[in-house]
Amino acid sequence: MRIAVTALALVAAFSLPALAADQVEKAPPSGAYKKVSELVKLPDFLPGMGQLFVDPKTLPAGPFLAYDREGKLVSTIYMLPIEDLTNKDKRFDDLASPGGKVDHVDVYYNAGHPGVEKPHVHVVLWHVSKAEEARVAAK
Amino acid sequence: MMISRRNMLRIGGGLLAGLSLPRLTFAGDLVEIRMQGNADGSHVWFDPIGLRIQPGQTIRWLNMDPGNSHTATAYHPKNFDHPLRIPKGAEPWNSDYLLPNENFSVTLTVEGVYDFFCIPHEHAGMVGRIVVGQPGMSSADSLPTQAPGGEPIPDIALRAFPSIETIMKQGVVRPS
Repeated sequence: MRIAVTALALVAAFSLPALAADQVEKAPPSGAYKKVSELVKLPDFLPGMGQLFVDPKTLPAGPFLAYDREGKLVSTIYMLPIEDLTNKDKRFDDLASPGGKVDHVDVYYNAGHPGVEKPHVHVVLWHVSKAEEARVAAK
Repeated sequence: MMISRRNMLRIGGGLLAGLSLPRLTFAGDLVEIRMQGNADGSHVWFDPIGLRIQPGQTIRWLNMDPGNSHTATAYHPKNFDHPLRIPKGAEPWNSDYLLPNENFSVTLTVEGVYDFFCIPHEHAGMVGRIVVGQPGMSSADSLPTQAPGGEPIPDIALRAFPSIETIMKQGVVRPS
């Protein structure tokens, strides 16, 4: 009996991270994530990024979770203000990365948008291949 | 000054084509300023960035950027403690965020120089200037760059304004 309980506990312990990962694979993600277009006035689907969700408490850095038109997770995006990146006293530590396996990473400048109103950098962890980025391309 | 706002589909290309060439405008004409951005959001701009009109003409800002929201907001202390850079006596305006294909209109009746900005993109230099009638000044050097209690206008925005002289000479100033 003791062995069975221990085995169940081990199974549960190793299953929890997998369950957590499963919660962000499909839109809407669970937990504190909110649809960005319901937090600020932005298009619901952003060409090149997709449909975004974020926990408002993590703004401006995120992570923002980006989904394609079928609601499948395609990337995790961090938005880091330029003025913070050039401030030696500012750090971004322990940013969550719930999206799982990363295929490749893009880093590029963004001029700003509602929610992150100053120039910043997008750090994009793509969970799909380069070719599959087309899933969030403009129609 | 009259302000109106409505959601609408993108207007036809005829008016846009008409703005693509420098021209003088006449009272009663509706003139359009497009809000634009590139695909990855790294560059945003008003087009035209400088415009000369006559008193009583209406300006319409149209968001043609499919991936971002923009505002047309007058430099005025009532707008987030920004410095006064429209004529004294003229009413300030703020479109609030316009989604793609939304538009906002203002009719300007007081002669002078009107500077405006986009709220989320002022720090990226997204500003514009309208001269109505005879501006009464040949240079913008005397315009304030910071309101009491407010933040200074970012250098990138100050550098982006076309000169009054250029606007008076060309009528329409396209972004470079």
